[in-house]
Amino acid sequence: MVNLSINGTSHSVDVPPDAPLLWVIREHLQMTGTKFGCGMGLCGACTVHLDGAAVRSCQTQVSQAIGKRITTIEGLDPEGRHPVQLAWIAEQVPQCGYCQSGQIMQAAALLAKNPRPTDQQIVDGMSGNLCRCATYIRIKRAIKRAAQEV
Amino acid sequence: MTSEVSRRDFLKASAAGAGFVLTFRIAGGAMSAAEAAGAWEPNTVFTIDPSGIITVHITKAEMGQGVGTALAQIVAEELEADWRDIRIDYPTSDPKYGLMLTGGSWSVNWTFDALSRAGAGARHLLIEAAAKHMNEPASECIAEGNRVRHLPSGKFLTYGDIVSKGLITATLSDEELKKIQLKKPAEYKVIGKWIQRLDVPEKTNGRAKFGIDRFLPGMVYAKVIYPPTRTGSKVVSVDDSEAKKVKGYISTVREGDIVAVVAENYLAAVAAQGKMRVTWDKGPHANVTTESITQDYWNKAKNDTSSPSWVDVGDADGALAKSMKTHEAAFWTDYVGHAPLEPMNCVARYQDGTFDFFSGSQFQTRAMGDLSKLFGVKPEQIRVHQQYLGGGFGRRLEPDVMLEAGLIAKAVGKPVKLIRSREDDIARDFYRSCTLQVLKGGIDSSGAVIAWKNTLVCAYPGERYGGLDKQGRDQFSLNGSDHYYDIPNQFVRAIRAETGMEVGYVRAVAPNYTFFAVETFVDELAHLAGVDPLEFRLRMLGGAPRLQNALRLVADRAGWDRRSSLPKNVGLGIAGVTAQEKASPTWTATVIQARVDPDTGAVRAEKIWCAVDAGLVVNPDGVRNQMQGSLLFGLSNALKERATVKGGQIAQSNFHEYQLLRMNEMPDDVEVYVVQSTEYPTGVGEPGVTTVLPALSNAIFAASGARVRTSPYLPDRVLKALREQKA
Repeated sequence: MVNLSINGTSHSVDVPPDAPLLWVIREHLQMTGTKFGCGMGLCGACTVHLDGAAVRSCQTQVSQAIGKRITTIEGLDPEGRHPVQLAWIAEQVPQCGYCQSGQIMQAAALLAKNPRPTDQQIVDGMSGNLCRCATYIRIKRAIKRAAQEV
Repeated sequence: MTSEVSRRDFLKASAAGAGFVLTFRIAGGAMSAAEAAGAWEPNTVFTIDPSGIITVHITKAEMGQGVGTALAQIVAEELEADWRDIRIDYPTSDPKYGLMLTGGSWSVNWTFDALSRAGAGARHLLIEAAAKHMNEPASECIAEGNRVRHLPSGKFLTYGDIVSKGLITATLSDEELKKIQLKKPAEYKVIGKWIQRLDVPEKTNGRAKFGIDRFLPGMVYAKVIYPPTRTGSKVVSVDDSEAKKVKGYISTVREGDIVAVVAENYLAAVAAQGKMRVTWDKGPHANVTTESITQDYWNKAKNDTSSPSWVDVGDADGALAKSMKTHEAAFWTDYVGHAPLEPMNCVARYQDGTFDFFSGSQFQTRAMGDLSKLFGVKPEQIRVHQQYLGGGFGRRLEPDVMLEAGLIAKAVGKPVKLIRSREDDIARDFYRSCTLQVLKGGIDSSGAVIAWKNTLVCAYPGERYGGLDKQGRDQFSLNGSDHYYDIPNQFVRAIRAETGMEVGYVRAVAPNYTFFAVETFVDELAHLAGVDPLEFRLRMLGGAPRLQNALRLVADRAGWDRRSSLPKNVGLGIAGVTAQEKASPTWTATVIQARVDPDTGAVRAEKIWCAVDAGLVVNPDGVRNQMQGSLLFGLSNALKERATVKGGQIAQSNFHEYQLLRMNEMPDDVEVYVVQSTEYPTGVGEPGVTTVLPALSNAIFAASGARVRTSPYLPDRVLKALREQKA
């Protein structure tokens, strides 16, 4: 059994220690806001926070998450009203929406570390997250909007 | 002759279901579940419950285009609904909905009139019922903000009151429905307003449910062991002895050439999949490569003189012979994938003779038709429970993953969840065909184009979409080569080339490659004639004033006149299109400013301007979002996306090889100008995509003098074009 602390709640799951955190969160615990896109850390759809830092949960073994605070999109803000989430609504960012949990988690971690990022810092921080609908213009705009409010 | 039949008629006539038919229900008929609970369901479009909440049933797939919000706006407008009382849902497939198909940028275009009438008819019945109850003449009552008000007295009944009291007993005949006077655009209160999308909030907090997010009680997980070639492989033998040792392994399923392993959980299924040893006969396409396909296409383009024409006007050969100057160029496009970020997946259940599929679908009617035949059940025994689509782009028109999940669920007698890996998803995608187009053009002494020939070679997905026409052509694969330019002598030959790489329709379909060739070649002819490419186009577009307008608008906004003062290695390119089809075009024109690095061949699109005239706009921000996204989708196609073939299979495996545009590659800005119009609405999901290949190739030419006629414009291809230009 592996014990994980996710969004402030402790979960114990029967998986091997090398199981990717992504699949434990999604399929074992059925917290589906965190998405599977590539399984190779190439798209960022599975981004969660580990002690506040953005990581790709498909590339994180559960053993690496033991004893750490895991935050998923469901736990970013209890009401879904984190400044990044509000900015995402204000700018009407999502299209299909599938990548957006990962984009939001990546952006929230970026702003937590650097509350006033330059355009280049936004691009550098976000270029690991793919959006097939190509909502990049609005993602960038929403991050700038959230930066005013963080 | 150009085909007279639009894609819409073609599909409607050929799909298993009828087109979208609006019929008001007859009072006293069989009650639906909603009606049993006291709601009023005047038609299949929406339901009003006793509290006045109006739920619009969206039978189009929500895959990012915001279709639910736009369609609900159309209903709410004529219904005089209070927008705050509007909800939407996505019903499970049912023959009563007619053709359930989302694609072609058709959603608003096909349903605008019917949804308007659905709302207007209901408003009429609400007014009649309320007036009778208030004992006042209906002519003195109006509907507004979810209530019917008697103007002289101020008395009113809310829609909730009318429904909860069960006051509506009348219905409307089809004739009465047709006669209803719809509002004029000047009277609109909801259509054309900046209304936020209804699906956005839950797409920011993880609550939106995609197909991959579904679970059923007692569900097990499946993985399919896919064949080594895209088509034609046959199973020789299956060895599951090692897979059986995986903890959680349940069973192996073999149905024909589909081999799958079933396990208790996802990770066990992945582990067991890795231990399966399947021996295949690779079949007839085992040696197909990009090189062999290219060779085959060129042979066909040179030697095929019997394939049917798609356009045949005047005497193209005769006019070429008489031309003062002629020009020839060949355009190639590589295979392009759909690559939705949500890999294909499905949860399937087989129970009491009925299959339930929980999966995002763009074409439920096809799933019902195809799968009922394959499983030997009636179409209504195939139920597609619609989910949000984590990207569609045409990929989710195909029911392939439902077929696999259904077979496995039936075999194991339990609900099954099947999730393809990204690698499986890329291997099993239905790519946009690679294409070859060889164009010849001739101009006379005045600089006018008098001759136009195009030999178009590509593969057709048409048999899966209602079949080919009598001449064996797939119009979805040819649209756009029948452009709007006023050229007296034109001939387009359509040559089919199948390679064993099963192709599909990818966002914006044929106009991606046809307008690439048309709009780049027109630019080349303008250069040959020594005329400004914008002016050259405008001269030939007398029959398309709205496209002229879009071209002028975008040129003005982009500063077309500053071309001579741009820095070195920077250029502006323009393109105008009439995608998706000639019968219902969205008039779209784009200018791209590109920078070309002459040493590396790297291309950067610095800025994109786009003007679009799609007629009446239902949701202005939705149109802008679709245009921004479609332009960048086109840029991703143009700069990055290249699938190649090796051993009868796509050679790329994941996003490090099949690359998509990232934020660091996007332009500094994308400006979209939406033309104000009251014309009947067309669609905006796709046309923007088709402008990018030609506008960018023309910009590369303007920046560097090099004509890149092979897409995507990878640096080595640009360098080669630069060298050819110097030579």
